[in-house]
Amino acid sequence: MQPEGSITPSTLSVKDLLWQISWNKDKCSLCGKCTAVCPVNAIELGVFRKRIVQPPADLLKPPPAVYKTYYGIRQKTDPAYNCVGCAMCNLVCPNDAIMPCRSDEADKQRFQIDRGGQPRRRGGRRNAPGSILDRMKFIRISMLTDPALDAGRHEFELRTLLGRVLPPEENLEFLKTNGWIPPVREIYPLIIGGMSFGALSPTMWEGLQMGVAYLNEVIGMPVRISTGEGGCPPRLLRSRFLKYVILQIASGYFGWDEIIHALPEMKEDPCAIEIKYGQGAKPGDGGLLMWYKVNRLIASIRGVPAGVSLPSPPTHQTKYSIEEAVAKMTQSMYMAWGFRVPVYPKISGTSTALAVLNNLTRNPYAAGLAIDGEDGGTGAAYNVSMNHMGHPIATNIRDCYLNLVKLGMQNQLPLFAGGGVGKSGNLAANAAALIMLGASGVQTGKYIMQAAAGCLGSESDRCNICNIGRCPKGITSQDPRLYRRLNVEDVAQRVVDVFLSFDTELKKIVAPLGRSTSLPIGMSDALGIDDYNAARRLSIKYVV
Amino acid sequence: MSDRKTSSAASVHFIPGRVDGQRIGSRILEEQIQQAVARGHRNLQIEAYGQHGIGGRLWRASSEEVFIQITGHAGQRVGSMGFPNTMIEILGPTSDDVGWLNAGARITVLGNAGNGAANAMAQGKIYVAGSIGARGMTMTKHNPRFDPPELWVLGSAGDYFGEFMAGGTAVICGHEAQNPDNILGYRPFVGMVGGRVFFRGPHQGYSQFDARLVPIDNEQWDWLCGQLEVFLDQIGRGELLATLSQRQQWQLLVARSPHEKIARPTIAMDAFYRQAWEKELGAGGLIGDLTTLDRSPVAVIATGELRRFVPVWENRKYAAPCEATCPTGIPVQERWRLVREGRIDEAVDLALAYTPFPATVCGYLCPNLCMQACTRQSGAMAPVDISRLGRASITAQLPELPPEGDRKIAVIGAGPAGLSVAWQLRLKGHQVTIYERTKTLGGKITAMVPENRLPQEVVAEELARLKAVLPHVHLQQPLQSEDIEQLTRDFDFVVLATGAQKPRTLPVPGSERAVSALDFLKAAKQGRAKPGRQVVIIGAGNVGCDVAAEAHRLGAQVITLLDVQQPASFGKERQAAEAAGATFRWPVLTRKITARGVTLTSGEQIAADTVVISIGDVPDLDFLPDSVAVENGFIKVNDLFQTTDPKIFAIGDAVKPGLLTDAIGAGRVAAETICDLLQGVTPQTRLREMIPRQRVTLEYFDPRITEFSDLDQCGSQCSSCGTCRDCGICEQICPQHAISRKQLKDNAYEYVVDENLCIGCGFCAGACPCGVWDLVENSPME
Repeated sequence: MQPEGSITPSTLSVKDLLWQISWNKDKCSLCGKCTAVCPVNAIELGVFRKRIVQPPADLLKPPPAVYKTYYGIRQKTDPAYNCVGCAMCNLVCPNDAIMPCRSDEADKQRFQIDRGGQPRRRGGRRNAPGSILDRMKFIRISMLTDPALDAGRHEFELRTLLGRVLPPEENLEFLKTNGWIPPVREIYPLIIGGMSFGALSPTMWEGLQMGVAYLNEVIGMPVRISTGEGGCPPRLLRSRFLKYVILQIASGYFGWDEIIHALPEMKEDPCAIEIKYGQGAKPGDGGLLMWYKVNRLIASIRGVPAGVSLPSPPTHQTKYSIEEAVAKMTQSMYMAWGFRVPVYPKISGTSTALAVLNNLTRNPYAAGLAIDGEDGGTGAAYNVSMNHMGHPIATNIRDCYLNLVKLGMQNQLPLFAGGGVGKSGNLAANAAALIMLGASGVQTGKYIMQAAAGCLGSESDRCNICNIGRCPKGITSQDPRLYRRLNVEDVAQRVVDVFLSFDTELKKIVAPLGRSTSLPIGMSDALGIDDYNAARRLSIKYVV
Repeated sequence: MSDRKTSSAASVHFIPGRVDGQRIGSRILEEQIQQAVARGHRNLQIEAYGQHGIGGRLWRASSEEVFIQITGHAGQRVGSMGFPNTMIEILGPTSDDVGWLNAGARITVLGNAGNGAANAMAQGKIYVAGSIGARGMTMTKHNPRFDPPELWVLGSAGDYFGEFMAGGTAVICGHEAQNPDNILGYRPFVGMVGGRVFFRGPHQGYSQFDARLVPIDNEQWDWLCGQLEVFLDQIGRGELLATLSQRQQWQLLVARSPHEKIARPTIAMDAFYRQAWEKELGAGGLIGDLTTLDRSPVAVIATGELRRFVPVWENRKYAAPCEATCPTGIPVQERWRLVREGRIDEAVDLALAYTPFPATVCGYLCPNLCMQACTRQSGAMAPVDISRLGRASITAQLPELPPEGDRKIAVIGAGPAGLSVAWQLRLKGHQVTIYERTKTLGGKITAMVPENRLPQEVVAEELARLKAVLPHVHLQQPLQSEDIEQLTRDFDFVVLATGAQKPRTLPVPGSERAVSALDFLKAAKQGRAKPGRQVVIIGAGNVGCDVAAEAHRLGAQVITLLDVQQPASFGKERQAAEAAGATFRWPVLTRKITARGVTLTSGEQIAADTVVISIGDVPDLDFLPDSVAVENGFIKVNDLFQTTDPKIFAIGDAVKPGLLTDAIGAGRVAAETICDLLQGVTPQTRLREMIPRQRVTLEYFDPRITEFSDLDQCGSQCSSCGTCRDCGICEQICPQHAISRKQLKDNAYEYVVDENLCIGCGFCAGACPCGVWDLVENSPME
């Protein structure tokens, strides 16, 4: 692909690339759609020479040799224009003439994408297929031992509690001495995890919100959604739909002045306040919304000027300890809504999760603990943070739950698990596994993006360009030319579809356990795995 | 009642469920019933004590009817697996699962029935004179080989009625119902896939997903009325017929077919958007107050302002590499365009607008930087040969000169630089006066360049052309600084183009024995030089090579060029020196020059009859007025060749040693600057940025061409970098037919894009041989 001339260390051939464009000359109609749609300009029209030498059969005359040119699609090999494998070219091709194919060996471009001394940054996920959650089986199938339930026929009310559930005697004591008991919400156990307005496009964000509203008001499922850290549109804050929303506060504190200004006009309390201390996909890495995503709309919601980059530091700048964080932030957040709204921290999966948990057990203000494992997704992070930092959610949630059991508090402080739930498409099975390991509910983001909006990401380093604002599906772009590819109502409908089908699948899992109205939280005797060490580590059954 | 009459007419075989005060087991009772039937009894009366499964499986009677009357307490599953010949009558209530798996028996219950009545019944009829418990009529079937099963209930159904009902007819009369407010019970018909249910009375909902209400047509009503009479007669409540036969009280519910199943009773999302979302949030939804931007869906492949990228026709925005690298600034690709258009004369003449020496320099003396830079070289193809056009320029026709105006410029020095600036200024209509120290015009070209480098008539011809254009030439006019100061007063501007006259010498003993290259070349040209057999030239640059070639011409046989580093000589000069058999030696340092030759610092002696020092020349600047600053031995100028004296310019070797084309180009820039200043315009450099070579497409050209046969071929093989060739490829390659050629006045044209058709694919940019089209990001939408 390179013309004659010198090469540099970063000179690559198509063979060196992770995604290689396979183009079929016979099928191509040169319609231009593939190059028009490519989000990263990885392909262009190429002019090719073709030399044709045709010796006559009897070799009586010298063979005629002609040079011809023809047109076709050429893949650029400059690392700045590497194909990301999104396959939008294939999507728009009327003749199925073009498709990106993944290299059959480790690519060479990975060694060249730090030009200028800038290590690779991207969006997406860990690019590690497979998950321990996928390997778990639900092995307790009650037939004649317990009243088995029929998922299709029986009535279910799958709900979980978000909030500090004190034992009745403590509750009474609390009420007597304090005149207050911690607020508790009864919600659906699958929560849409925090994805900010800004990281997501306006159409995507509104679609999610409207889908949640529909689920609540038409279907009657009390589904909740976290705002992520990007503020909340003023209209939503002043609407009845706020009830379905978990407001997130994180280290960037974006949009919180707008939330505070809206306090006097709120018709409903939000579901809860989530204090984000870490993100499973990129623990220790902060957030950065690049300036080109901060248009007037985003700026107005976040309460900042347009066109500036917005950093969220990895840490809360003035919080130096768990005690301080809990004391300062949790209590202040409770105060904002007159102690009517549960407040809980969200941390990234970490070997220090137990320390956080233990602190929370001693604090009656703590409404729960959300832990986000390493398989979570993100809109932008350093590749190294995404691929190599973090803690798997399974052991983290299990250790925390068993610790609560030891303290006799497993019914008091709900744990919420996130990070890779449904990463291979098994949303309900993963969620049920985490619930049986001890989670009161799960949070999911990536799955929703894929199912509700057709996100093209995979665990094979496909697409992953959420960070550059060129999302070909319009999910993470602030460019109207892209986000208008997404229709609010379509997204909302898909959210509804996802929850309804999740609900059915979850029933299919819990019905044979004889559960219909209470989740099998911590019901680990129903869990098995064909890995002895994993079984031992998680205190579940080893089955082969 | 007719059946009962029939049964009472036959002899009745009584089987007690209790013998000797002991209840007999269900198995024993079943055996006794089967044996009785086998023995020919067709009319049985059973006194039941809770035994299960009474009255089923009586196939031993073959097609003969068997009547069973049950007194006492019937147990579970009365009539289960009943055969079509079996008629069962229970004289009171019955327990669970009556008629379970009934395959044809008629079962009459003169009381209430428990849970699971008619569960999985496939044929037969069950008449219940009271109400039934939970999960009645569940899992019923309809086998097309037989009549569908029927369940008649005078009262009401219990909860979960009709679950997974797959066939048959249920009739719930709602008379004296156990639950008068809800005669169908809680959550009926979940999973119902077949059959129908007539009911009479209030209900509190059913599975809309599975069942639907339909109007009762006449045929159905007639059937219902007819069978109702049979039912009432069977349970002895014939008096109710009139009460229950009021059509408006009845409703009919049927299973939805698979195509009719609905996911859920919901509203469409777009309706929800309007009725709930916008109603609560306001017009435009969540952010309708924050933006007026249209957020309606768009196509993936969009046109107009929705394109992500737009093509731009950047004709002549960039300079071709040939033009950009030519110090004189000749638009070489423009000349090839004229050749392609058949306007060879114009192509030739065009050069005169840039240089007075198109033939001498472009055709012969110039190393042709334009060809070195030719884009074709990046494709390993031969550069277009400009020297052909250069040599043809000897016949170039001057444009008509404008009359001389009253703005006067003095040019000091009639070398390439001085003549260039004078030429340019005269072409612009200014009055130019040239002062030259020597007797001839041309400077280095006439004084020093060896004659074998180009035909002398070429120089003569071009000098004659110059003389015709520049009448005010004063030869043999050495000037002092006072003269220059005077000139600045008499003229609008003074341009110093005095060259570099002073040979640089070597600070070694005996350097006075050596001759400078300048002097040697001048003497050689005049035929005065006698170099002898052995010549050593210190300094192996291009001038040193010229010296070597001339020395060889004049008889030298052993010629050695010395240099302290790898010689910088190249091109024709170097080739000429090598052809003369000259030896290049480096790195060597000279210790001294003696009568016998040169002694190197290594002690080596190189014999020489003549030693020529050729290590460059520096300007002789004694004449400079104080107002003109000097830097490192050369006159200090800015990019526009202005000296520190605003009225004085300096160009050529007096400013910086360079090629002939550098001097000519400097003259042109100085002239343009002077014209700007005379017009009161702020002068500026007019250099266009060079086109990025990768924009040019070389695949259209035949790489096998290594030499060009004529000007036409040169023209056709020029890719016209940055300037439209008007080839029309873009028009044709555009998949949307969005590009068209627009004819403008004066033979001009442009290619335009219809933005309503264009999808921003960039094919135009990819296909353009000249790199004129570019694809740029569309302006942001906010």
